[in-house]
Amino acid sequence: MTVATKPRALWRRCIALWVLIPAIALAAPALASAKPLRIGITLHPYYSFVANIVGDRAQVVALIPAEANPHNYQPQPDDITRAMNIDVLVVNGIGHDEWAFQIIKAAGRTENLPIIQANATVALIPIGGDQEGVKVVNPHTFVSTTAAIQQVFEIARRLGELDPDNAATYRKNALAYAGRIRELRAGFMTRFAALDLSSFRCATTHAGYDYMMQEFGLFVSAVIEPRHGVAPTARQLANTIEAIKKANVKVLFAEKNFSLDLAKPIEAATGVKVFALSHITGDTYSADEFEVAMRENLETLAQAVEYTQQ
Amino acid sequence: MARSAAAVTRVRPRSSGWESLALVLATLAVIASVAGYVLLRPERVGPPTPLSWQVRSFDGLGAVDQAIHSALLPAGEEIIWNNNDTGGWVTLERAQELLLPPFYRDAFWKANGEVHWQLILPGTHLAHKGGDDDATAADQTASDVSKATLGQGATVYYGSAGHAPGQSAYLLIIGHAHAGVMWANQATIWVHRDPNAPYPAIVKPESLVGEGWRQVIPYDGASEIERVKGTQP
Repeated sequence: MTVATKPRALWRRCIALWVLIPAIALAAPALASAKPLRIGITLHPYYSFVANIVGDRAQVVALIPAEANPHNYQPQPDDITRAMNIDVLVVNGIGHDEWAFQIIKAAGRTENLPIIQANATVALIPIGGDQEGVKVVNPHTFVSTTAAIQQVFEIARRLGELDPDNAATYRKNALAYAGRIRELRAGFMTRFAALDLSSFRCATTHAGYDYMMQEFGLFVSAVIEPRHGVAPTARQLANTIEAIKKANVKVLFAEKNFSLDLAKPIEAATGVKVFALSHITGDTYSADEFEVAMRENLETLAQAVEYTQQ
Repeated sequence: MARSAAAVTRVRPRSSGWESLALVLATLAVIASVAGYVLLRPERVGPPTPLSWQVRSFDGLGAVDQAIHSALLPAGEEIIWNNNDTGGWVTLERAQELLLPPFYRDAFWKANGEVHWQLILPGTHLAHKGGDDDATAADQTASDVSKATLGQGATVYYGSAGHAPGQSAYLLIIGHAHAGVMWANQATIWVHRDPNAPYPAIVKPESLVGEGWRQVIPYDGASEIERVKGTQP
């Protein structure tokens, strides 16, 4: 009797497993797709871009602390933990967040973390001024409006591929956000329209503003830093001061959140007036940070151009 | 004395000096290997080299053309999305409402040569004129020649008559998926050295090239990543 029932019970269990295992396997992806995406970002502007694209349909996770300086960032253990728990990462990818790839590697996500290269379709331009005859890619595409919109569209398109259920919402939100950015730009364009931009010459301490200048038909005559985030030598500084004098530069744009150590001696040597622009870095991540910072940047730019008209 | 002289014996190495030869050969081998590596090392992938009928946006365009090209890229994307959603095309009047550069007539438009834009729809005989445009000779030319585009399926935003120094004429060509054009579902941007270049008879690459138009290759983030890392993103 006992001998007869044992194979029958075993057989029942096998059938139960045979039915249940596929059911569980099929249910798993459905549960996964119902869960909102956790989208990692590397820089402040990308937090704003992604937050405005996804709205409440996904979660935005900053890979590094808000107050960190992205120019010389050293990955921390908490970054690795965050990298282990995101579904996709949005990066600048062209020289402003190389540390992100160290974090991904340390988290063991190199092979299985989808990366959205925000700049994949942005037409890059070289750093302004004389870079010793070499054209060097400017990675600051996010300090702009047009290149920012291009990135918003690229991020929305790629997120739509990863999350097809919300693709239409992402695209709709991206278009609305792009419209708001253009409205912001248009307000200042009206102000610029009354100014003579032809004689405007400027220098910048950091090569962060070529895309923004391009939008207003303005160009940078000299950049103080010889390379991204690198301080100039005494000779390089002397050459730049000479170039500023020769080009009749009247305005120097320094970094709002960085030291003015570089700007002060140049101001003293050349008589340029120093204005501070934001690199769009701050103490907190927020959806409206990009618009707030760009409004301030455009206001500063307008004031600088108006100063040169006096 | 004689005894000590007799005691001096020259001993040749057992290997007959082959160590020296081996050392020389090993040194030469190292030098040859290093030189060979330097000469034959795989070079990093460079930015795409333009063909004779192409121009790179990064270093082949002037500042004004570069600015207009940068604005045309997202505009093209938005126009295509809009077409996907509504089936229609963003007219030049609608572009003014959308504040859409480079069509929107703002300080950017003024600083970049006040280009005269026209929308030429697929299968239409008449160039679409902007609301406040004067009927220029360029319009008429475009209208005439746009007859030739009948059935080609491409929607074109044609920009000409810009007056900034060194400025080009521009074509934003958007292929239509149903028309079977070779660049269907994507936008391509072309420039012509003559800012007053007439609207091309046929908006297909071989014809455009024949008429002096050059396709702009955007040097974009994907190209830069490929250059730096040697891999596609």
